[in-house]
Amino acid sequence: MNSVMGKILTVDLDRGLIRTRVTPREWIELYTGQKGLATRLLMEYLEPLIDPLSAENRLVLATSIMAGTIVSCSAKLAIAAKSPLTGTISDGSVGGHIGAELKYAGYDAVVISGRAKDLSYLYIDPDRPEICEAESLKGLGAFATEAEIKRLVGDEQAKVLTIGPAGENLVRYACICSERYRQLGRGGLGAVMGSKNLKGIAIRGWLDVCVADMGKCLAAAAEAHRHDDIIDPEFDIYEYGTPVLVDMAQESGLLPTRNFQTGRFEHSANINGDSLKALRKNKKACFSCAIACGNYVQAGESTVEGPEFETIALCGSNIGNGDAELLIRLNALCDDLGLDTISTGGVLACMMEMTESGIHDFGLRFGDTEKAMAVVEDIAHGRGVGQQAAAGSRALAGQYGAPQLAMQIKGMELPGYDPRGSWGMGLAYATAPRGGCHMTTYPVAEEAWGELDPFTFKGKAELVAYGQNAQFAKFSMGICDFWPIESETLGKLFEVTYGGRWPAEKVELTGERIFNLQRMFNVMAGFTSGEDRLPSRFHEQTLPDGPPAGIAMTEQAFQDALRRYYELRGWDRQGRPTAETLSRLGIEKELIERYEQSLG
Amino acid sequence: MPLRLKLSDCTGCQLCQLACSAAHEGVFNPEKARLRIIHEYTDQGIHIASKHCIFCKKCEEACPVGAISNNGRWMIVDHQKCIGCGDCVRACPKNVIFLDENRKSIICDLCGGSPQCVEWCPKSVISLKETAS
Repeated sequence: MNSVMGKILTVDLDRGLIRTRVTPREWIELYTGQKGLATRLLMEYLEPLIDPLSAENRLVLATSIMAGTIVSCSAKLAIAAKSPLTGTISDGSVGGHIGAELKYAGYDAVVISGRAKDLSYLYIDPDRPEICEAESLKGLGAFATEAEIKRLVGDEQAKVLTIGPAGENLVRYACICSERYRQLGRGGLGAVMGSKNLKGIAIRGWLDVCVADMGKCLAAAAEAHRHDDIIDPEFDIYEYGTPVLVDMAQESGLLPTRNFQTGRFEHSANINGDSLKALRKNKKACFSCAIACGNYVQAGESTVEGPEFETIALCGSNIGNGDAELLIRLNALCDDLGLDTISTGGVLACMMEMTESGIHDFGLRFGDTEKAMAVVEDIAHGRGVGQQAAAGSRALAGQYGAPQLAMQIKGMELPGYDPRGSWGMGLAYATAPRGGCHMTTYPVAEEAWGELDPFTFKGKAELVAYGQNAQFAKFSMGICDFWPIESETLGKLFEVTYGGRWPAEKVELTGERIFNLQRMFNVMAGFTSGEDRLPSRFHEQTLPDGPPAGIAMTEQAFQDALRRYYELRGWDRQGRPTAETLSRLGIEKELIERYEQSLG
Repeated sequence: MPLRLKLSDCTGCQLCQLACSAAHEGVFNPEKARLRIIHEYTDQGIHIASKHCIFCKKCEEACPVGAISNNGRWMIVDHQKCIGCGDCVRACPKNVIFLDENRKSIICDLCGGSPQCVEWCPKSVISLKETAS
């Protein structure tokens, strides 16, 4: 009666077998759920050195203790695997209703292994989960696939995860789509589904979610929603959604423009919060969310949820596109083809700069958005130049001897904040387990838009490490990024849903444990400190405009900050967590032993 | 005194359904709520529809054993008398009456006058409509 469903579904696509196992209580205690549980399951089932697109990879879905309850912003589902884009562990979360639906279906997590002989979809409900044939869905876009799977399972209210042609064709930054307008964008997990011949996953549930103390849960949730103002109609994420950040990034001179060559875009006002609000049709929330950040906008035939800030930055300013309608169309195209808009924008920008600087003529220059859309179709379908671009910017630029033009970390294209305008963000990018990622912590808020000096690394190792721990706990315990919740409040909500005592220190220690567990995986997968780096452009060239103009973020300053960060984390000079650190964090002995053996 | 839903402001979060199932059943389960928010996904975005008691009293007329009555403000089901025949379910024009695990009729009772769905709606979509009974 504590918000744990008690079962993990294991699906073996090689043999067509579906089984359940009991959710180990100690995993909930140590890793809580969602991101943490997904990470623990990958450590259990995955050999870190495997090829991410082989049948040995596992795709893990994990829900959380808060999911399915009345606690706001709690329905996000974690999906994790070894990433075909980076080779790191990679987890993301997708909103909508599906995280709660999995819980109502009676499962804390799903582990999918092997590869189906024919294109298939997985149906999950409390009574009869099954693997179903899906050959008729081959090549369909994500939108049509979802509608078709709902028709096949005969339930309009089923919640569905799908891949588009990009996932089927193993594009290394293919995303997973859900409920039409939600995406799990990063790290190419759509290609992992594609490699398993899995076109979709439909989930339907109707079981009860019980909590440790219903009376206290209702009181604590109501109090937390009110206290943190997330039910306030003036809450800025409700009013504008993430496009509110465009003007802020422009003002701070860190809006990625033309492949991060500059940090201010002359047409930013065409694609900012006000411009997109003018095209808005309505607003929608994810399940149980009091905020409702979702904006539905329309341009011509295309309706999208968004475009979110990262899409605006990467498929807007970063490719020289200052046209809101083209941006919306490109966003909708990527969603339907099943491509991550951040990496797609990063790859396109890389091709544009390679063309303009004479390295290789892809026939694509900054501002050629219509042409870029044709390239995007080619990427998803593996045609012509799209075949090369499907491998990501690192591989593409490397192939033409210009690796410095790929704005990526560990192979994953960077999101919408130029680190020269927020140095802490640079350290956060470099140390994020899944590569160029803005979700592990968000120092840009304190630096560019807060009280801290953005142009120093002083104190940033502490800021980044603390932020990563808190964020990993927040996601694992089940709360969306957009609720700026304190660890203390998080712990209180966890106590009334799950039970026990969860003071802020325990919450943050849990986050630190999960962060280190992901680092263990990456070390075992062969990653060392050499990969914790920024693209050379950020050290060698300064930005021309705005607050960061002319300020050099030297390689030496960055390396010093990285060393300080490792010390703080209790990692060695190569960035490897020491056995002592892992023991202090309470990570299981057998995992530490396996880790130490792998180090030789 | 039925509920009034201003659906143009509804974001589809379904906190109302969670509040309902928590108040009546002591669990979180949107399938056990006495009102429903329904999402329809189209090329035009997400359309929201709702199902909730409109206090038409057709269930009361349909009940063969007189288990359903009303107090002028909400419907009342006597579970001692209810035989689980489902006639009320079929008579409901909004499809918002359900039989529980014991085959007893479940109808919105406005939480005895202070509906939790109204209380929990973050966008003030749900209110009580005063009508002549």
